[in-house]
Order: sequence, then C-alpha cells, then structure tokens
Amino acid sequence: MGLSLLLYLLLLIAGGIIGYHDLASEKLQSKLGKIQTCCLLFLLFIMGIRIGLDENVVSSFFTIGFKAIILGLFSVLFSVLFVKLVKNFIIGKKEGKTSDN
Amino acid sequence: MTIKILISVALGIGVGYFVLPSWVFSYTDIIIDIGLCALLFFVGIDIGKQKDVFVKIKNMGFKILLVPLMIITGSIVGSILGGLIFKMPMNESGAVGAGLGWYSLSPMLLSSYSNELSALAFLSNVVREIMAVISVPIIAKKIGYIESIAPCGATGMDTLLPVVSNSTDPQTTIICFISGFICTIAVPILVPIIIKL
Repeated sequence: MGLSLLLYLLLLIAGGIIGYHDLASEKLQSKLGKIQTCCLLFLLFIMGIRIGLDENVVSSFFTIGFKAIILGLFSVLFSVLFVKLVKNFIIGKKEGKTSDN
Repeated sequence: MTIKILISVALGIGVGYFVLPSWVFSYTDIIIDIGLCALLFFVGIDIGKQKDVFVKIKNMGFKILLVPLMIITGSIVGSILGGLIFKMPMNESGAVGAGLGWYSLSPMLLSSYSNELSALAFLSNVVREIMAVISVPIIAKKIGYIESIAPCGATGMDTLLPVVSNSTDPQTTIICFISGFICTIAVPILVPIIIKL
C-alpha cells in the first residue's frame, strides 16, 4: 500500500507541475473534465465488477445500505458541528465579511 | 453525474455477478491501480491550473486550515459514533468517515482490506455527497456560510464547489476550494493509516 500511495502522490504532483506551467496542450486541457469523468466511470465500473464477483457483498447489500446512510449522516452532522465550534475563531477576528446569513 | 455514477456501479455489479467468471477478480486490482493513477494525474493538472490557490492560502492566514481540520475530525468522529450503533470496530468506521465524500478513492484504498468494508465506504461516501448537494444551500441559509462547507469534504474543490459558490459568497467559495484541496490530500493518507490502527 505504501508504494502505491507514493506513486499516487507523485502522479498528483507531476500533474500539478504540468498544470501549473501550462505544459499540457490546450486540446488536452479542454478535454480534462471529460477524461476525468471517463476515468472515474470506468473505475467505478471495475469496482462494481469486484463487488458483483464477491457474493458476500451482494448478499449483505441491504444491511450495508442502512449502515452507509447512518455513517454518511453522522459524518456530515459532526463535520458541520465541529466547523461551527471554531467558526468564531476563524472569522471573528477578521473583518467578519463572511456574513452569517 | 450522480445518475451516471450509479449506473456505472450497478452495471459493474451486474456484469460481475451474472457474466464474469470468478478468476477475473485477481486482474481487477491492477486495472484499478492503472485507472486510478491516470485519474490522479489529470486531477493534478487541474489543481496546478489554479495557480493562485497558494497565494490565497497565504493571504487568508493559517486559521483557514482549521476548517478542513475540523471537517476531517468531525467526519471521523461522527462516523465512529455512527459505527458504534452497529458495533463496528472503530478503525473500520473511522476509515469510512475518513473518505470525506471521495467515493471513488476511499473504497479502492480499502479494497485490499475487505470487500465488504470497501462497498460500505463507497455507499457511505456516495450518501455523503448526495446529502451535501441537498444540505449545503440549507446550511448556508440557516446556520452559516463557513458551516456549509463542512458536508462537502474532499468534494469541496470539484463537484460541490459550484453549489457552495451559488449559495454563499466569493470568500467562502475560496475557503471551500482550499478546504476541499486539503481534504483531498488527506484522504489517501488518513484512510490507510486509520484502518491499520
């Protein structure tokens, strides 16, 4: 895992350098969004195949669905709550331009 | 986009379940790795194109970094608490929460750990993004602009950015981008660390 993690970060940085210095051709840049969408949908398709091949996952899909909603909901609730806790510290001392409403 | 995503996954599950023999499974690992590398490279180009992002971080001060820090902490704590309902091990529920809504990456980071957790990470983070799309305008109106960034997590720099910019002001939009950027970097680091705890 460590090695592929390093590879991911290196590719992200390599892409960043290319983007920053405008080394990518305009043709490529204009298609960036489409390429990303295609990559993403392909990856999700392959991931779906992995899930479909694993009968344990398929059979427990309904229990997972409820769990997924609860974990997602709690993540959202607590991240909002935690940001609210530090909000005054972040923008209180600034000019307070970011209004509450 | 959400519909395309659901169709892709559903199609994959259908093909995997009904069509493909089980030996294909061992080859999917390398395909995912190659695809993910390509995707991250292109995401990198996208980030690099936003040249002023580092200048903006500097101008706004380090306090801005508290926003993603609190989003990350809140997501992990919330997910662990949610997991307690199902008596899930804390490292598993924490790792799902550390996905921060990046539903394409977090399940892949967990696929070598267990397929069931990987599926849960996927579904839970898809749920998170859908909740974000719905809740950002409401939170911006009822609670506050800064708080409305929180549900976005890592998607604050791409999918959810137009939603935030639509419901808040330019300053909040910039904070949202920076926060999404930091969350995006944090996901591939935190998920593997937390699952090993």
